Amino acid sequence: MDFESLSGDLHRLMDHALAEIAETADPAALDELQIRYLGKKGDLTAVLRGIGALPPEDRPRVGAVANEIGEAVKAALAERGTELRSVVQAQRLAAEKVDVTLPGRTVPRGTLHPIPETIAAIAEVFGQFGFMVYEGPEIEDDLTNFQMLNIAPDHPARDLWDTLYVDIPGHLLRTHTSPGQIRVMQSTRPPIRALLPGRCFRYEAVDASHGFEFFQVEGLMVDEGTSMADLKGLLDEFAHALFGPRKTRFRPGYYPFTEPSVAFDVECVVCGGVGCPACSKTGWMTILGAGMVHPVVLQYGGIDPERYQGFAFGMGVERISNLRHAVPDLRYYLENDLRFLEQFR
Amino acid sequence: MRVPLSWLREYVDVQLSPEQLAERLTLLGMEVKGLERWGADWRSVVVGELLTVEKHPHADRLHLTTVNVGSGEPLHIVCGANNIAPGQRVPVALPGAVLPGDRRIERTEKMGITSEGMLCSGDELHITSDAEGILILPPATPLGLDLSELYGDVVLDVDVKPNRGDALCLLGLAREVAAATGATIRWPEIKVEETGGPVTAKLRVEIREPELCPRFVGRWVSQAKIGPSPDWVQMRLQAAGMRPVSNVVDAANYVMLELGKPTHTFNGAAVKDGIIIVRRALAGERLETLDHVERELTPDTLIIADPTGPIGIAGIMGGFDSEITDSTTEIAIESAVFDPVSIRRTGHRYALRSEASLRFEKGQESRLARIGADRVAQLTLAWAGGVLCEGRVDSAPTEPAAARLAFRPARVNKLLGADISVDEQRSLLRRVGVETEEGASGMRVQVAAAPKPLVVDSGSEPTVVAVVPTWRRDLAIEADLAEEIARVRGYETTAAHLPDTLMPAYRPTPLRVRELIRQTLAGVGLSEVVTHALVSPLDEARLLWPDDAAAPAVPESVAAPSGDDIVVTNPLSAQHSVLRRHLIASLLDVLSLNERQGRPDVAIFEIGKGYARIDGRPREWTRLAILLTGAAEPAAWNRVARPYDLDDAKGIVELVCRRLGLSEPTYVPDPRGFPFHPGRALVVGQESGSEAVGGRVAELHPDAVAAWDLRAQRVIVAEVAIGGLDVAAPTRMHVEPIPRFPEVERDLAVIVAESRTAAEVHSTIERHGGVLLRRVRLFDLYRGTPLAATEKSLAYRLVLGAKDRTLTEAEVDAAIVAVRKGLEVDLDAHLRT
Ligand SMILES: [Zn+2]
Repeated sequence: MDFESLSGDLHRLMDHALAEIAETADPAALDELQIRYLGKKGDLTAVLRGIGALPPEDRPRVGAVANEIGEAVKAALAERGTELRSVVQAQRLAAEKVDVTLPGRTVPRGTLHPIPETIAAIAEVFGQFGFMVYEGPEIEDDLTNFQMLNIAPDHPARDLWDTLYVDIPGHLLRTHTSPGQIRVMQSTRPPIRALLPGRCFRYEAVDASHGFEFFQVEGLMVDEGTSMADLKGLLDEFAHALFGPRKTRFRPGYYPFTEPSVAFDVECVVCGGVGCPACSKTGWMTILGAGMVHPVVLQYGGIDPERYQGFAFGMGVERISNLRHAVPDLRYYLENDLRFLEQFR
Repeated sequence: MRVPLSWLREYVDVQLSPEQLAERLTLLGMEVKGLERWGADWRSVVVGELLTVEKHPHADRLHLTTVNVGSGEPLHIVCGANNIAPGQRVPVALPGAVLPGDRRIERTEKMGITSEGMLCSGDELHITSDAEGILILPPATPLGLDLSELYGDVVLDVDVKPNRGDALCLLGLAREVAAATGATIRWPEIKVEETGGPVTAKLRVEIREPELCPRFVGRWVSQAKIGPSPDWVQMRLQAAGMRPVSNVVDAANYVMLELGKPTHTFNGAAVKDGIIIVRRALAGERLETLDHVERELTPDTLIIADPTGPIGIAGIMGGFDSEITDSTTEIAIESAVFDPVSIRRTGHRYALRSEASLRFEKGQESRLARIGADRVAQLTLAWAGGVLCEGRVDSAPTEPAAARLAFRPARVNKLLGADISVDEQRSLLRRVGVETEEGASGMRVQVAAAPKPLVVDSGSEPTVVAVVPTWRRDLAIEADLAEEIARVRGYETTAAHLPDTLMPAYRPTPLRVRELIRQTLAGVGLSEVVTHALVSPLDEARLLWPDDAAAPAVPESVAAPSGDDIVVTNPLSAQHSVLRRHLIASLLDVLSLNERQGRPDVAIFEIGKGYARIDGRPREWTRLAILLTGAAEPAAWNRVARPYDLDDAKGIVELVCRRLGLSEPTYVPDPRGFPFHPGRALVVGQESGSEAVGGRVAELHPDAVAAWDLRAQRVIVAEVAIGGLDVAAPTRMHVEPIPRFPEVERDLAVIVAESRTAAEVHSTIERHGGVLLRRVRLFDLYRGTPLAATEKSLAYRLVLGAKDRTLTEAEVDAAIVAVRKGLEVDLDAHLRT
């Protein structure tokens, strides 16, 4: 045995190993090859066993060649391993492909009813101007619902409010949120900026534009110089916030508890003021009633009308909601058909 | 009030188009609700002249006519009326014409003869009430003219507010038109010729209730001839919405619409001895009114009587026996002023409200009693002939002078937020007939009137005195004049200004907690509903939802008081006649409606009120109600359906507790049965500081589900009280420092008898866990081998820790041993290892 033949064996072994590594397609087989060629009982070790037969001066040269070959096989194994793993990963990823255009897993999400939502929207706007939310009872007494609002028991204006009465003497279901004005004035001192949302009741047959239960929001502001111009300024802001930049106008209205009384019109939200069936061809839609608080009402609230003055306004929540969302029928609100409610997503 | 424009023009010039006039009136506060084209429903109706009128050869009651309609060949028309003669001009409906009520006229055959159209009666055209004869037009009416050009009109529907009784008539609205346009009013010339003897020989009036009848003016017409009133009168009444009756009745109605003065005409012969007594009814008295209803009169009813008894209910309706009939010749005219409150009450009591009573209710000007009597007499003479007796019977001939009302122009500006000069204020008032004078210092200014009058001394502030015309009963205080000034000036000129006054002090909004819960529940898939507060009394009986009094776990601060139903005494229907005490029945109704629409999966909530009477007083409280049924997660391509169960409702209540800063609620079983599943109902409660939650969570009993005719298999409901739903209760959350030392977890499998509840096990662990035990969480529930059938295993993860050190193994072991001992002793449990 001489150096040349042993070196030749080693190179043949390497060529054989490199060829086998290159052919391998399975990462597990690479581990086997590592053991077969480079393991303690592997082929490289077996070849090196012949080293003892060489002259001592040739032994280091063979060691160097063996190391070189060992490193080359190791490197080939590592390279092939990396190659094969990335192929396997690519195969797995390819197998995991999904149709990404399928719809997602629905997260349950409920809807909020337009009446409380509209009340919240109104409260948000007036809240910016310092109006605080108060609530009055729905079962009112005649005194607060009518008489303290300057509506005597036989006042002809009582026809404006068809009333539902209850079996508690002197009590009724409030016909409007206006009695809240009295309750706020009696419970606090000016300056007052109050907003009173809530349920109201009237003796009225149900159809597309009437109901015996409905919701209103009342507003009240009282201070030393609060004027009708302040009322116009605030209502303009409100109308713009809810309906966008539109023309508005005041015209005379009538309520026993305000003097002067106002009807507040906004340019028709359907036709933009040109005139259409929705606005009876006038180009205007009335969105609320308002006025300067009547001196009789201020006095019942414990406020001196010589020192203080103020305004009040009242609006139908359904009316505002109808105009914002184009709801065609008032009955939708209390019927709670999910096909209606789910549109308010 | 319906206002025919042609009639209005008799009292004031109108240069504006109907649309412009409507807008001006609306801006002046006389809202025009609609414009009706009167005659718009006549199509192809033209003026024709009768050339020949002959008998129909085959029918006695029909005529054959030839009619010249101005162009083309004369038409052959068959007609059944008897009042026609050659030379008359009549309305002719041509073939293809349309009459009111969408009645179409075509060429037809009548008893063998073709009729090329129809001659029209006033009734067929809806312009007079005469259905018998053909409407005979004035002789000079142009042939072929379209009838709508002849009699077409525009009728304004004006919404006159209750405080403006003076404007409920053509002259009143003419005054408003004049105020808007600056035109002048033309009063009708009211003049009568008194050719009869003195009225006192015919009529005597005795007022026994001057409070209720401050003025009564009577007149008497003899030898009148009752018949239809002239066509033009009938047309005006018809356009204004009143049915023509007869010349004398029409005269009274005409005056009511013209002047706003309701009057009544009696058959004079039926007034015993010509004596009219105004008094209250006596107990037991009866009267058959014009509408043929025999009415029992209550003693507080003001009546018109003769010496034999009642002949009318004052201001409301006359009696049948004294009605004007075709044979009436003697006419007693009543033109009175009655107390508005008395009229209103009487009208309500007998459910009799008429055009007349509506006007009386709003108050009447004294002077109109005199003018109205004269005007009715004048028109009666003109339309029914006869002889008017000399003079009037008048119970209070002195007419009150105009009221004088001082106001401070500076106050008007302050109220309006405007800067209108004193001169302008005065000239604006003049446009509505309010004359003004310069005021002195120290005048008495009426700031408020009854029921809480306030008069102040003007001191040195400049004043103006307004002389209020007698018809303007609505102008009584300073603010009324401010409105009048603003109104005539135009509300649309109001400046817009943002308030720059003081702001009120902070106040938490009562909507805060409600908003929090609404957003939270919508976020977990529940839809909000708002249902009726008025429900059927059967709902409560059908559901038998128990009161909070029967549930001690509900914290007292939020428990609803027990009480009685509040019942509506005048309900629209029994379906909505009681104020609800609980919300669940309403949610079941919503479920039922949606099931019928093919929606079996329903998850809804409502934040609403309950109501009851307690010690005779009304009480209201606010509740959260939840209803879950069907699939919690509906089946999808990537998921199988999961039905709602009790745990979902509990989970929602737990979530609400967490959102409010409360710890997990406690659950107490409620085995009562109906309306609940006896094994699946509980009372929930938790309270901490001002926050509290309490109520019931349950699966409904199948019988309760059946009572609502529901298809749902299981219906889960909850109604809970939450502190802060009524009143804002802001809470502050305090942060715990993040633990600096590691926590230790230990798992315990607790085997207990089936009868033990999880709540018992949980609270036992907490009770014995000592200060080191931080949290306990159930992570498994197991039944089956190797456990006995009467046993179950609950597996808990216990988390232990200390603020100041890492726990030693020995400390943890000691704590766990204490828990095990406690479970063994208190619950007879054993631990699986
Ligand atoms: Zn429009």
